[in-house]
Amino acid sequence: MFDRSRLHLGDFAPLITLGVLVLLFALIVDDFLSLGTLSLILKQCAVLAIASAGLTFVLLCAEIDLSVGMVALLSACLCGVLWEQSWAAGPKGADANNAGAAITALVVGAPLLMALAIGWLSGKLTVSSGLPSFIITLAMMNIALGLARFLTRSEKFAVPPALTGLGNDTWKLLGDLRLPKSAVLAAAVVLLAHLVLQHTRFGRYIYMTGGNREAARLAGVRTDRIVVACLSLCAVTAGLAGMVNAGRLNSVSLDQNAELLLDAVACVVLGGTSLFGGEGGIGRTVIGVLTFTTLKVGLNLTNVERLIKSWPLPPSWRESWLKASWVTQFDLLRPFLLGIVLLLALVIHGRLVKRRD
Amino acid sequence: MSVPLLDCRGITVRFGGVAALENVDFDLAPGEIHGLVGCNGAGKSTLMKVLAGAVPHYEGRVHIDAAAVHLDSPREALRRGIAMVYQELSGIGQLSVAENLCLGRQPLTRYGSIAWGKMYRQAEAALSELDVHIDVRKKLAEYPLVVRQMVEIARGLHSGARILILDEPTSALSLPEARRLFALMKKLKDRGVAQVFISHFLEDVLAVCDRVTVLRDGQRIATKPAAELTRRSLIDDMVGRRVDAAGQDNLEAMLPAPSASPVRLRAEKLSRAGLFDNVSLQVRAGECVGLYGFVGAGHQELAQAIAGARTVDSGRIVVEDRALRTGHVPAAVDRGVVFVAADRGRSVARRAPVAHNVTLAHLNPALGEWLTRAKEAAVVRPILERVGCKPPDPRKLAGLLSGGNQQKVVLAKWLLGPIRVLVLEEPTRGMDVHAKREVMQLVAEQKASGAAVLLASTEPELLLAYADRILTFNRGRITREFAGVKVTKSDLMHAAEET
Repeated sequence: MFDRSRLHLGDFAPLITLGVLVLLFALIVDDFLSLGTLSLILKQCAVLAIASAGLTFVLLCAEIDLSVGMVALLSACLCGVLWEQSWAAGPKGADANNAGAAITALVVGAPLLMALAIGWLSGKLTVSSGLPSFIITLAMMNIALGLARFLTRSEKFAVPPALTGLGNDTWKLLGDLRLPKSAVLAAAVVLLAHLVLQHTRFGRYIYMTGGNREAARLAGVRTDRIVVACLSLCAVTAGLAGMVNAGRLNSVSLDQNAELLLDAVACVVLGGTSLFGGEGGIGRTVIGVLTFTTLKVGLNLTNVERLIKSWPLPPSWRESWLKASWVTQFDLLRPFLLGIVLLLALVIHGRLVKRRD
Repeated sequence: MSVPLLDCRGITVRFGGVAALENVDFDLAPGEIHGLVGCNGAGKSTLMKVLAGAVPHYEGRVHIDAAAVHLDSPREALRRGIAMVYQELSGIGQLSVAENLCLGRQPLTRYGSIAWGKMYRQAEAALSELDVHIDVRKKLAEYPLVVRQMVEIARGLHSGARILILDEPTSALSLPEARRLFALMKKLKDRGVAQVFISHFLEDVLAVCDRVTVLRDGQRIATKPAAELTRRSLIDDMVGRRVDAAGQDNLEAMLPAPSASPVRLRAEKLSRAGLFDNVSLQVRAGECVGLYGFVGAGHQELAQAIAGARTVDSGRIVVEDRALRTGHVPAAVDRGVVFVAADRGRSVARRAPVAHNVTLAHLNPALGEWLTRAKEAAVVRPILERVGCKPPDPRKLAGLLSGGNQQKVVLAKWLLGPIRVLVLEEPTRGMDVHAKREVMQLVAEQKASGAAVLLASTEPELLLAYADRILTFNRGRITREFAGVKVTKSDLMHAAEET
């Protein structure tokens, strides 16, 4: 995050949005302000936080990576397929106990290396062709999806217990507050990313490459390398996020991570990182992820029928409302409401930032 | 005087509590050319932005034809007949001249598609009225700057403008080009178009304007008929203090005898198709070599190439008897060959803090591996004070500084490391007298401490004041070398037109 000589409302807008959402759900969801909800939010946000951290690097240097979701999927699929090889745990992961730590490390490490290779290739192609990363990673997205389909033959695969443990295990802290292992991993990734961005030369070069690429180039920064490095890093975090997600769901199948890319972009932008590079940071992304997850969890916990019953409405209204399709089919409306709230938040942020400038 | 066409009273503009303009009056008569001068940050651009509708939150009254108006958007300004020709060209290079001219008002056929033939005829007519005869079907980018500016003016008139605002129109033009533009301005004047002419070239202002308004620190200092003014009196008004007569006005200079110190930089037979051809030159330690030419002569591109910012087709660059990898900025920076670009948009990240801009090139030597804000501020603040950047606040966003201060930030960036060869491309473009002198003072300090300086410019005054040796350029080749002799502005201009 940048220092500014004068603080402005626009800088705090993401935090205010988060506060408003928490307040809103505290009013309409019973027991929303509880340690249980907090644990749920932490568990749900881990995957998104890992992927968003990597994507923040890419957006900061004024590029984009559209292959995040599919690289996540491909990595998880490769992990599952390797795990079911006869030299590892065998079909359906039946011999999981026979597979040692070395094999688990290989099964988890290989997909990360593959993700790194994909990201590096996207980066190299972007800087060497002069095409926008939008196009290159769009193609890469399809390549990854195709490979994932081919690898899995559209079947479900088991993943190492290390991953299912990572995705589901929690440490009990106090009362209902359970600290998910995945959240601890996400916190570590996020912290590392923050330190790199704020306190290393590489991080500074990322900001300046995004802020004014020509100025960075004329100052002797190898901006091409920065772009390649950011896209590589983003692919690695995407791969990691994909495997954690597979662990959370206890297996990997092709229907996973379909929304990961757009959710991650929404989180990063919701936090206030510019799509045009040079402005923003990991702290902002964390707020964005928390806001987004709070919104998702809150909407899932919202029970409209109970809400209407608890409101002091004229009985005739109550009767007709309870039979109305928007109440009975509320589940189907959730993405709609999610979109509306996101839109509102982003437009308000945008206007505040515009006014500040 | 009759009723003014435009009458502004008590215009005040505040940005976040700071007044950029305070109670400024400004008026324009039909057919008048009104000069607007002032140092950087005096409020010229802000006043013009108000007229262009880009600053809707201004206070004060604006009357056009004695009717009160509120210019709250560029669209409203245009509707009231005010058109702006910006310093940075706003035309779309990839579209044809005619498309640019008719942008937003393309004539349509009755099926709703663009009537190309009609549009070309309209564009040709609009331009030939201004005595500009060019192929309107060609892309705008293919034409030289002056033509593009004229197209921009024609576009404003075509949309029915009666008030034209020209912001630094001549700063990138060669002398003949500028004369062509002035002739056009006179012609428009006869047609009753009122024009505001903003320029740092005071001679031009005095030559073409009827009246001149001087702004300083957001206030109007004076509005006088140009006939009553001299260059000296204008500078006095702008700067607010007496300046020595020699200050800027070096129309001739005695170049010192050639230096005998060791050769620091040697360029050998550098060529780049279409830009420069087979150019060789050398610069000695502690020497400032000036490259003079009109815009497009290739000397600026040559400077860029020497600093690694541009690739070359053939030739060698040798720094201190070791070849330098061409077309590679990091290699050049490692060897202490540093570059200050003409366009500050290419050298300053405006939305990043000043500190980040200053430490960019020498991050590790200056701050070590672990960056912290405190360390950075401690390193940057003294260097900002040394270059005279105002305010010397490392945390301020660089884009909020004036042009001169931004250039000081660029110099501060290089001062953090060793400077062996300092390559400057038009380092003072668009700056006022005062900022210009401060920036060039910093350059002179580097020269005195032994750096080789290569100064490429289209301003003869700058070179006459600061260069020890001057090479003139035309069409990518060196035409003359001036060393150890007395040289005048007209010598340089003539040499730059030789082939």
